[in-house]
Amino acid sequence: MSISRREFLKVSAAATAASTIGVSFLPGMQKDLFADGLNWHKSVCRFCGVGCGVMIGEKNGKVVAVKGDTQNSINKGHLCVKAFYLHKIVYAKTRLLHPMIKKNGKFERVSWDEALGYVAKKFNEIRKQYGPDALAFYGSGQAETEETYMANKLFKGAIGTNNVEGNPRLCMASAVGGYLTSLGKDEPAGTYADIEKAELFLLVGTNTAEAHPIVFERIMRHKAKNPDVKIIIIDPRKTPTDQVADLHLFPKPGWDLAILHAMARILIKEGYADEDFIKNHVNFHDNKKKISFEDYKKFLEQFTPEAAAKISGVKPEEIVKAARMFGKAKTAMSMWTMGLNQRTRGVWANNLVTNLHLITGKIGIPGCDSFSLTGQPNACGGVREGGGLCHLLPAHRVVKNPKHRAEVAKVWGVPVENIQPKPGKHTVAMFDALNKGEIKGIYIMCTNPAQSLPNASKYWKGLKEQFVVVAESFFPTATTEYADVVLPAAFWSEKEGVYGCTERRSQYMEKVIEPQGEARWDAFILRDLAIKMGFKKYFEKYKTANDIWNEYISLTKGTDMDLSGAPYERLKKIRGITWPVPSVDHPGTYKRYTKGDPIFDALPAEKKKGRRMYFYGKPDGKAIVWARPAKGPEEPTDDQYPLALSTGRVLEHWHTMTMTGTVPELVRAVPMAYVEINPQDAKKLGIENKDQVIVETRRGKLQIEARVIDRPEPGTIFIPWHWEKWMANILTIDAFDPGSKEPEYKVCAARVRKA
Amino acid sequence: MRKFIVVLLMLFTTILLGLNLFAGQDKDKKMVKHPEVDFSVSCVECHTNVTPDIVKEWKSSKHGEMNFGCYMCHGDGQQEFYPRPSSDRCISCHGDYAVDFSKTKATNCFDCHQGHTLKFHKNN
Repeated sequence: MSISRREFLKVSAAATAASTIGVSFLPGMQKDLFADGLNWHKSVCRFCGVGCGVMIGEKNGKVVAVKGDTQNSINKGHLCVKAFYLHKIVYAKTRLLHPMIKKNGKFERVSWDEALGYVAKKFNEIRKQYGPDALAFYGSGQAETEETYMANKLFKGAIGTNNVEGNPRLCMASAVGGYLTSLGKDEPAGTYADIEKAELFLLVGTNTAEAHPIVFERIMRHKAKNPDVKIIIIDPRKTPTDQVADLHLFPKPGWDLAILHAMARILIKEGYADEDFIKNHVNFHDNKKKISFEDYKKFLEQFTPEAAAKISGVKPEEIVKAARMFGKAKTAMSMWTMGLNQRTRGVWANNLVTNLHLITGKIGIPGCDSFSLTGQPNACGGVREGGGLCHLLPAHRVVKNPKHRAEVAKVWGVPVENIQPKPGKHTVAMFDALNKGEIKGIYIMCTNPAQSLPNASKYWKGLKEQFVVVAESFFPTATTEYADVVLPAAFWSEKEGVYGCTERRSQYMEKVIEPQGEARWDAFILRDLAIKMGFKKYFEKYKTANDIWNEYISLTKGTDMDLSGAPYERLKKIRGITWPVPSVDHPGTYKRYTKGDPIFDALPAEKKKGRRMYFYGKPDGKAIVWARPAKGPEEPTDDQYPLALSTGRVLEHWHTMTMTGTVPELVRAVPMAYVEINPQDAKKLGIENKDQVIVETRRGKLQIEARVIDRPEPGTIFIPWHWEKWMANILTIDAFDPGSKEPEYKVCAARVRKA
Repeated sequence: MRKFIVVLLMLFTTILLGLNLFAGQDKDKKMVKHPEVDFSVSCVECHTNVTPDIVKEWKSSKHGEMNFGCYMCHGDGQQEFYPRPSSDRCISCHGDYAVDFSKTKATNCFDCHQGHTLKFHKNN
């Protein structure tokens, strides 16, 4: 007699379920984990950019639990599956515990003194021999603001190079470009509070359910309470977000710009435009010059629903329906993320979404906003606001502005000449310069570029050949393999600091426990390195995290992102605050550019006359509606590579899995990578579900399991990018947006065959 | 007939394993093991075949909508496995939802809530 394993599983699973579910527990059976002996500490989730409040449960000097912070306005106590396991990650076996130097090809444990002495000596030698621009810093939207601030000062202010970048270049730069060109200042005008007031959501290039689960939950709850709320999705792939969608437009990857123009055309033609708002608040531009509203209308004439349908592959009637839904709704909130940003025309795509709000006046009032979702917990706070990119200085300043350089140099206490006026190398150019030997030494902090760069294998050469320092909490990673020195960094809960999330909210995180092993706080690693490099006079003053934060917020005073009313003493008591917050008694700003925004309120009356909004980043206070060409992807599909490859996230994993890969539950949830193939394509290719296939692009090939599923449209394939073993980024293209320099991860041409 | 007896034995054994939980969770950790399976397959993928009704119930719930997978309550199945999860695992998210147990006979979440649909039991 034989019984198959499947039969056994069926029987045992059913039996266990029958015996365990729905039967009352005996009284006193469970001990309450949270009942006693635990101290709870206020913090913020370490994963995406939503900024959920978490409470860290500590007992006898160990982090033992995490729960949602019910007092936090963002998540109101709810967490996604990743946050639930944060406490386990603190004690992962892969924590890097000691400084190590690679000697004869092998890492050897050394003292902090030896490690930092060695890095300082090498960096100084490179600087002396090749100049400051032979050095570079590559940071992270996961680093705290204080950490990025120290790196910025060391490299831009002391060493004297603007080769300072961070991974937000790879995810948010196009959103920055979009906001600056459309509204005049970076970051959204509204906040999450608009969600519960919106009648319609336009979700473009975002799998909100998996990439920003708590935002999705808020949308879902809002719709459940208000069934008239409508949700439109524009995305080439069906995702879990679809469970709340009323309409889903499936464009060919990279061909959605025409849809947004066609929607704008319909909105104007059918009378949904807010002519008064346009007259008083909006200018029109094409790529070269200012144009009139009439010129813009003429420009849009080429984007009939039929023409847009031909370009995008979406049915014309669906485009019309989407436009009418947007027009009819009294309030509308657009949200997007990497599907728009990671494109060679990411800035343009951002502009075209904001256009819809500007022409209908659906901005600056509750329930209306053009709202970019951020991928990392402190991409906004540390890197965009902190100035951790090659053209920026703290508090939305730029290196090319002499006044800005002088203001920053004064606070930093460095000679103004130290800060170069020319932007440094953006991310792709930086790693290209490593390949070419133009950059000879790099300090990588809290990120894993050997896996996360597009066309990743191309950049391993430079990492292998140049002097690489990696400050990390985890070891090994794809990047530490190329490191000459690894420095153990304190992880979440082992350090205090501030994260600034998607909605302009800055939140304080407590230090709850001492770092594991010999790990140290990144900001102080940088301080001590600076001192060893000979910059003692610029850095010895920083004794505490508070010293750094206070100096930083002094630089924000009087800027559009004024945080001077948010010192630690205040942030420790509250669940963050949305800037501008110019004084300690200011409640924070819900809506920018309008009444309640202290900058708007302080404007002279004549500027505000006849206006409910004043876009103070623009010379005349008017936002810009852009007539951008409807360009497609850099590498469209062709006969040789007939499938469009897109990459993205799954709910249970995050970035390169240095964190989620240490949690058994999350690994079990999604144990391995796969390529999603539409059943029609699979049939044509003779591929069955779970077959091993080869996915190939012009840059590389990858053997991976096929998942035949109707999530991607025919002609499109999708790979979740988290796994080092199935590294999707050896396939992706490193072409980038000429404005934002953000690479086009989201679209390239591929082919698939059975392995 | 022999096959039937084997299946019956397996059923009986598994029910016993389930009932063993009443002895206390720490002990369960040692005793209850998830069957050895191909762990490169995700929980929900396998259980869609082996316990489709349970997966359907879960999918209909708020947890299913948010994709709070099996592992959230039942553990990863290898290092930790809780065939019958405790309320402890609910509290991380729902810790501040005050329930006055003095007014009910309930001693934990699942006295009132079905574990997968999360709806109230019919007799509550």
